[in-house]
Amino acid sequence: MTDVVSMKDGIYRNTCPRNCFGSCGILSYVKNGRLMKVTGDPKHGFTQGKLCAKGYAYTQFVYNPKRLKYPMLQTPRGSGNWKRISWDEAYSIIADKIIELNHRYGSNLACGYNKFSGNLGILHYAVEGMFNSIGPHTKPVGNPCALTGKLAVNQSFGHSFSSPPEEMAHAKLIVIWGANPAVTNVHQMKYLYEAKRNGAKLIVIDPIFTRTAEKADLYIQIKPGTDLWLAYGVAKLLIKRGNYAESFIRKQTFGWEEYKHFIETKIELEDVSKRTGAPLEAIELLADAYETTKPAVTWSGLGIQRNKHGSGSIGAITSIAIITGNLGIPSGGLYFMHFDVEHFPLHLYNHKGPAHPSIHTSREIDMSNYPKSALALKDPPLKFLWIASRNIITQDQDLKGWKQLFDRLELIVTVDLYLTKTAEESDLVLPAATHFEEDDLHVSYWHYWLSINQKAIPPYWEAKSDLQIARELTRKLNELSPGFSNFPYEKEPLDWIKAELTPDIMRQYSLTSYEDLLAGPHVKEIDSAQQFQTKFWLNPFEESGGLTELEEYAPEKQQPGVYTLLTPQSLLKIHSQYEMLPWLNQEESDNMIEISTKAAEELEIANYTKMEVFNETGSIVGTAKINPSLPNNVVVAAQAGSNPINKLITHCHSQESSTFFYDSTVKIRKWRDGRV
Amino acid sequence: MFKRVGFRFNADECIGCRACEIACKNENQTPTGIQWRKVTKLAPEIYLSHSCFHCDSPECFRVCPERAFSKRQDGIVQIDENICTGCQLCVTACPYGAPQFNPETKKVSKCQMCYQRQDMDLVPACVEACTTGALKQVDLNTFSDENAVRSLQGFADVTITCPSVVFYPVKPKKRYFLAT
Repeated sequence: MTDVVSMKDGIYRNTCPRNCFGSCGILSYVKNGRLMKVTGDPKHGFTQGKLCAKGYAYTQFVYNPKRLKYPMLQTPRGSGNWKRISWDEAYSIIADKIIELNHRYGSNLACGYNKFSGNLGILHYAVEGMFNSIGPHTKPVGNPCALTGKLAVNQSFGHSFSSPPEEMAHAKLIVIWGANPAVTNVHQMKYLYEAKRNGAKLIVIDPIFTRTAEKADLYIQIKPGTDLWLAYGVAKLLIKRGNYAESFIRKQTFGWEEYKHFIETKIELEDVSKRTGAPLEAIELLADAYETTKPAVTWSGLGIQRNKHGSGSIGAITSIAIITGNLGIPSGGLYFMHFDVEHFPLHLYNHKGPAHPSIHTSREIDMSNYPKSALALKDPPLKFLWIASRNIITQDQDLKGWKQLFDRLELIVTVDLYLTKTAEESDLVLPAATHFEEDDLHVSYWHYWLSINQKAIPPYWEAKSDLQIARELTRKLNELSPGFSNFPYEKEPLDWIKAELTPDIMRQYSLTSYEDLLAGPHVKEIDSAQQFQTKFWLNPFEESGGLTELEEYAPEKQQPGVYTLLTPQSLLKIHSQYEMLPWLNQEESDNMIEISTKAAEELEIANYTKMEVFNETGSIVGTAKINPSLPNNVVVAAQAGSNPINKLITHCHSQESSTFFYDSTVKIRKWRDGRV
Repeated sequence: MFKRVGFRFNADECIGCRACEIACKNENQTPTGIQWRKVTKLAPEIYLSHSCFHCDSPECFRVCPERAFSKRQDGIVQIDENICTGCQLCVTACPYGAPQFNPETKKVSKCQMCYQRQDMDLVPACVEACTTGALKQVDLNTFSDENAVRSLQGFADVTITCPSVVFYPVKPKKRYFLAT
């Protein structure tokens, strides 16, 4: 059954909502209520009318026989015994449970959700708004992806910071530490090439010889997690040679004397070389480049903050950008990602719920340690879990913890487009709309363009947006228990979008009305000079305990036979999204495990034969692919697939950090039949 | 004078992102498995985006017993699927793997360089999609650049069919790998 109201034929403006740097502007060609094709929006200043391979596959993403068509109930959970139910039945089951738990425990603290980056549209904060609207509940906080880097950048700048990406085209030196834009941020590559055509030099530092590294004029391979040492090594050379921007440093930094003293007394180049694995010659070339080429831009990738030294690494790399004076000159810059979405009112996210007589706030649990934190909750325990924009079973870590938690939950509801591995473990699945089937508003975390997402086609079968689900479920709650929720369900999507466009936001993005966005994306006005008025903190910071950490960080800790597991993004997927698209999954079988030539020789694992990766949390069987450029003690596996590698992710939790996915270690061996 | 359309492929700027390949599917809605355009690894660190190269001396044209192929004045090689009997002689003859046999329809199809778009002065969908500008369309009658080359390492022999494509090779680079 499709929407009775058919959409008008024509071209609509959409925005790709994926957890990606691009947030690409899309033009959707619609005929008879059907999405015929997509193209890039030429009015989007960053993506300039281009999409990526995944974006060009959107017709197949929307009209996919594997998409969920209607709400379904599974009894018992995990049995595969699914039964189609109506939306009204689904809402009744959920509302009855929420109300019953409220009666049982006297509050809604037994109800929680786990939502992350499946769709970054601002209206998808409807999930948060829906939970807020029932008063205190169990609320996830943190960011498993980027919190470590965010806090490290904040320490240097006092706020989030990332230069406008278009400006990279004017740099003369581009140094990328642990990012792979050729795979994860393809539209940025044109700015790199524009700079290169004007004589710029590209340097890439990465333990993996990535597709971006292949394109670098200079590539330096280092051992995983040793970026901070390389950055300190470069600083050592710059300071030794007296080649630093002294007047800029004196005027605009804090902590210079301590920093200089630290570099001069604690850092030895031979030691840096030994720890990083980079020869002295390479460290010198990197320092030479920073010394002689201006303007230089420095890019700290998300990869370097996926281990416990991530914060230190980001700080040390930022410090190079600062002491070389590149943050004080035009087109010199520093890139990580920004959090400008937080500058919006986010009315849904910040929706204020009804007060509880004795409980004043929601109960917070850390996203990076969700199952353990949730299992520890008592009085009341967590009993109801709502999962949206998230595929926990393939993307989170501590899956044993998740299993324990799931076993204790009385109702698990998953909202998704497909029957994901997480949906398979739920009691109820609710079919989600694609971004072509809903209205939304988007801000990127990389570029500075604001763009609209128009509802272009009727929903696929009975799919609904997170906002529509929030509106209907809260109405049902109030029907059954008047006043249970204060969600303003009468508000239409456009009301929420317009409410985000405050006079201040309109001024920043040069908008006169909401309608301006229908004519094309708008860019934020950024005064680069203004941005550098603040003073920077140099790393290591006095109070951060960086020095102690440094001394404790002994080189060559890794035992023989133990491999660091790296699980970067794949080209044709984002995490587990796009797995179901035949256009994008024609060749390589899943569960490919990349191993070094040396590991293959030592363990007698032949190319394209079955092998096993294992550690204390479990074992994965995959197909070996020998990668001659891989460091000896590194194993690379793609995320998701039929047997998700995250089963082997072990995260040592620390407060105020994202998940250290790359601190996991594994052992490997040839696969033998019958081995348990 | 008529133009002679062709592709210009800069191997140094191709990041192997496959947007061209899927943009072709998006534009032409070809079934899964029918690859009018494809990105492959030609040699270590060299990606090639390839489709029909609309050759000057197309082998497909020469071997087809049904005369299903034609060459437009601008150089685009077309196939008329209505005439094709699915004998696949063209599939065997093409040095670049361009003709695609569909086992369901028993017909061959291939890249027609988005001639409907060309007739509206638009570039092919693959060229439009290329984010780095590695893949471009040029008029080979006027194109001239001393840095351009006729072939790339690992590419098929160009002397047989004279494909309508020119290349820029990859530039030398400096690398420091960890000691093994």
